[in-house]
Amino acid sequence: MAAAATLPALLVAADRVALTVIQGVHGRRRVGQGDSFWQFRRYQPGDATARIDWRQSAKSRAVFVRETEWEAAASVWLWRDASPSMRWASRDEFPHKAERAELALLALGGLLVNGGERIAQLGTGERPVTGRAVLRRLAATLQIERRHEQTDSPSLPRRMALPAYGHVVWFSDFLAPLDEIENMVRYYAGMGVFGHLVQVLDPAEEELPFAGHVRFAGLENEGTHLIRKVEAVRAAYIQRLAAQREGLARIAQSSGWTLHQHRTDHAPQTLLLSLYLALAQPRRNAVAR
Amino acid sequence: MLNLGALAFAAPWALALTIVLPVIWWLLRLLPPSPKLIKFPAIRLLLGLKPEEETPHKLPLWLAILRLLLVALMIAALAKPLLNPAGDLEGSGPLVVVIDDGWAAAPGWRQRQDHIGALIDKAERADRNVAILTTAPAAIDEQPLPRGLLRPSDARALVNALKPKPWPTDRAALAQTLDVSAFGSGATVVWVSDGLDDPAVAALGEKLRDAGALQLLLPDGEVAPIALLPPSAQGNELVLRSQRPASDLPRRIAVQASDDQGRAIARMEMEFAAGATQAQTPFNVPNELRNRVVRLDVERQNGAGSAALLDERFRRRPVGVIGVPPSETGTPLLNDVYYLDRALAPIAAISVGDVKTLMDEKLAVLLLPDSAAPSTADREALERWMATGGVVVRFAGPRLANAPEDPLSPVRLRAGERALGGAIAWGEPARLAEFADQSPFAGLAVPPDVQISQQVLAEPDVELSERTWARLSDGTPLVTAQRKGEGWLVLFHTSANTTWTNLPLSGLFVEMLQRLVALSRGVAGGKFDQALRPYRVFDGFGRLGDPPVGVRAITPELAARFAPGPTTPPGLYGEEGAQQAFNLGDRVGNLSALTGIAGGATLGLIEAQGEIDLVPLVLVAAMILLLADIFIALWLRGLLPAATRLRRAPVTMLIALLVGAALLSPHDAGAQTRDDEVMLRATLETRLAYIVTGNNEVDQVSRAGLTGLSAVLKQRTSVEPAEPVGINPDSDELRLFPFIYWPVTTEQPSLSRDGVAAVDRYLKQGGIILFDTRDAHLTGGRTGAGQGTRELRRLLAGIEIPPLIAMSKDHVLGKSFYLLSDFPGRWAGASLWLEAGDGRVNDGVSSLVIGGNDWAGAWAINSFGDPMLPVAPGGNNQRELAYRFGVNIVMYALTGNYKDDQVHLPKILERLVR
Repeated sequence: MAAAATLPALLVAADRVALTVIQGVHGRRRVGQGDSFWQFRRYQPGDATARIDWRQSAKSRAVFVRETEWEAAASVWLWRDASPSMRWASRDEFPHKAERAELALLALGGLLVNGGERIAQLGTGERPVTGRAVLRRLAATLQIERRHEQTDSPSLPRRMALPAYGHVVWFSDFLAPLDEIENMVRYYAGMGVFGHLVQVLDPAEEELPFAGHVRFAGLENEGTHLIRKVEAVRAAYIQRLAAQREGLARIAQSSGWTLHQHRTDHAPQTLLLSLYLALAQPRRNAVAR
Repeated sequence: MLNLGALAFAAPWALALTIVLPVIWWLLRLLPPSPKLIKFPAIRLLLGLKPEEETPHKLPLWLAILRLLLVALMIAALAKPLLNPAGDLEGSGPLVVVIDDGWAAAPGWRQRQDHIGALIDKAERADRNVAILTTAPAAIDEQPLPRGLLRPSDARALVNALKPKPWPTDRAALAQTLDVSAFGSGATVVWVSDGLDDPAVAALGEKLRDAGALQLLLPDGEVAPIALLPPSAQGNELVLRSQRPASDLPRRIAVQASDDQGRAIARMEMEFAAGATQAQTPFNVPNELRNRVVRLDVERQNGAGSAALLDERFRRRPVGVIGVPPSETGTPLLNDVYYLDRALAPIAAISVGDVKTLMDEKLAVLLLPDSAAPSTADREALERWMATGGVVVRFAGPRLANAPEDPLSPVRLRAGERALGGAIAWGEPARLAEFADQSPFAGLAVPPDVQISQQVLAEPDVELSERTWARLSDGTPLVTAQRKGEGWLVLFHTSANTTWTNLPLSGLFVEMLQRLVALSRGVAGGKFDQALRPYRVFDGFGRLGDPPVGVRAITPELAARFAPGPTTPPGLYGEEGAQQAFNLGDRVGNLSALTGIAGGATLGLIEAQGEIDLVPLVLVAAMILLLADIFIALWLRGLLPAATRLRRAPVTMLIALLVGAALLSPHDAGAQTRDDEVMLRATLETRLAYIVTGNNEVDQVSRAGLTGLSAVLKQRTSVEPAEPVGINPDSDELRLFPFIYWPVTTEQPSLSRDGVAAVDRYLKQGGIILFDTRDAHLTGGRTGAGQGTRELRRLLAGIEIPPLIAMSKDHVLGKSFYLLSDFPGRWAGASLWLEAGDGRVNDGVSSLVIGGNDWAGAWAINSFGDPMLPVAPGGNNQRELAYRFGVNIVMYALTGNYKDDQVHLPKILERLVR
């Protein structure tokens, strides 16, 4: 599949998803703390003299104060799991988990860019920027990564130094051992970063719909496991999966992060809305479904 | 051999292997199949999980049965199953097979071989030797068969190589030379007969019975022989006859007539009534096809006896009539040619003409009515022709009556004619006497109403009486004839039209002429006086082939008692171009049916043996099951593609098939699309076109020039042309382009015929070509003086060019966009030439614009948009004017006379206001 052919399609799909969500969420273009110029305003008694913009004031009789844009939610780093286990779907009509994760990532990126946020892909080392261009770059990077299938792609993001008050959004199946996840979350939370975990699962991973005599094989060289009667272990499996989720929720809660669940047979819009709300209201700990 | 009714096993011991089936069953049910393989990302969560109970894991019952069936089939194949087993041979001694391999055995030869093959198979199973005896003489280029005992495998090879012979059997010879003591006693003798009886049957039967029990096999139904006789004349039509040995059943056969290419021309059916041995049918072939028939075959017989070759004797004789075709004269009923034509048309191919043309054709008979008196030179030619076998039939009339010395007459004639029963004559009109026995007309009935009122008389002569073929009732000759070398000269002493007699109106006239035509020996001739060498001879299946070495030539004496045999097989004899056919069908005498042998023999029928070896079938079935088992095993393990994909597969395959069919279909789909692409490219956007001259420099300038002009058009007008296109009038479609620039060069080759036609068509359909001779700087503005004009004339040779005039000042070309009075290109000064139309053709728009100012040179820009070539005398003004001319001519091409009509606009508006 040529990257050039699918890239616009992916972006269009992401846009379509984002458009359904954007209504009802207010913009953020107002005066506040920040570095970027926002507007000039007449000096009013009480303003600090240090804020007077002398150059502007010299152009006219009035005295002007320089105001900067409010930049509370400065930057969002997005990341999705590119490991082989994500490139799997139990049935043909479902998208791969990786596809869904990329779609959600791009749609979220589109929403954020429209909202004036700056975004970057976590792990590339790029600085967060805003504008439609970053979306195209993001999509292109995803495509390239998808084409150079790396079998050893890690199931968790790499450790990187991020400024405080930044946001990270991770899309993954989060089937890795809980302590690894916890370590990583702790590391980022320790830098003062807010995070949002999105667990993308295939319906078959939730329900284990197989039966009979089955040899299971992992996608990341975990070897095989023979189960002589799958029906008999289904309950135990679902229990284990629930335990994994609970562990995730606990990890998220303890760091003040949010956890979102998503199934590939469900529409991505709900996921996006809950993500967007979570991003708009930082510090609200929630486990949204 | 284990025999179970219709099924038998040749190696029944292998069936003992079936005792392993229960063991295999037990093993199959015991061993579980491999588990399904499923990829699963969340395997980490599954690790360590162990179900408390296991799926009772056994092979599905149906799969176990399938596999058991597979093994059973293999065991069955080992046991060599046979369907319809042939049973065993009686007796204990060797098997003696007597084969009638004469011509009559050709139909159903395959069946005979199969039957004999089955007998030999039985003998082989019983480990008995075989002797093969044939009754027909061996061909001269073949070894006679060994008479002694053979191993069955050798005998089988011998029988497989055996072919029927294109001559009759000679059972007497076999009976004489056969020594049965070599076979010992108790032999089983099987005589595979051809169903024909002859006196030697009893003797041979006697001899064979000495060797052992005799069984006589008779052919049945379709296989029974049929002899086809060559067609013979009966009255005035050809009749096909065939005969068969007597049979109680009616039989319908079809005879196919084919030409020298083997194409079937006609098909005639004939039917033997029950008990009849003869059948016949008229040889009903349309006249024009009859001459093309070279052989006749009884369908589904494939034998030498059921095929008849036709040589020239059987074909219709071409007849020439000297004179003028009656349709060309105004009064056909007075024309004697008309009567001859009408009389002979049903039986002969007639050509009418003068002596010279007719002599060039191959003719059998030449008719010479009185209206065509031959010249001296003609007479000599006719004499020569008769000497080589031609038949000339002359008719009397006033001309002959006045030229009694005419040597072209069988008898000496008296001057003047004799009138009978006229107004001034004595006596009644004469009637015809009965024809004498030795006359060729013998047997023809004389109608009483035929009257002769005028005739020419012969001088009495000693030879007169023997030369006379027909007389009047008073004894005067009416038809005389004289042998001339190989041919005949025949004279009717009366006319061929109705002025002297009403004979031409009677049926007798037609019959007489037919007899005369039959008298001719045809084109090639029926009789011969030298030995005819074999040309093509039949094999036993009725196929013509080169004669083997040793076949004898046929001498005239031999021809009469021609008997087919190894040294004289039936076929064509003679030289290339003139052969005579010797057929088998009319040389076999009467056929009588063989129904038994005096002294007794068991009778049987030759029939196809139904023994079928089932081993390959069973093995194929086992292979199919094995393949199915492999797929089932894969499917059970989940290794086959998903079911959804399988469901889509037929559609995909169908598409692939269709695409493949489209690719393989005879018309070149690729070329079609390529053409379409070219067409679309040329038509989706307006493009200026130039003719590719082959001179690279000129072509580059043309392209750059049109690119420059296109850019100017885009800038200044609503015409937005795409990239210009180079085209070749010989191969490209000109019609797609409204305007073509044609620089004239000396190098460009003249147009092909297609190219000329294409350019002509283009101009007539309203396209515009700007011819640029590019030589204004050399000719000083005098168009028509330079090399370019000569080249232009050469290029346009064959194209219909209307008269040209120099462009007038107020021509629409000067105002179609810009107002111009001068049209400089790279050079200036040369005038423009246009069609001198009067406005009626193509709305007065000139299809041709001819000039010499090298406009493309002025328009040409390089890739940076700068002019490529300087203009002379020079200045940006000149280049600008060149561009303006370019804009004008493109506008002219696209809008025609629109701007000319605009001149009248004020007037039109004025009228509208009123």
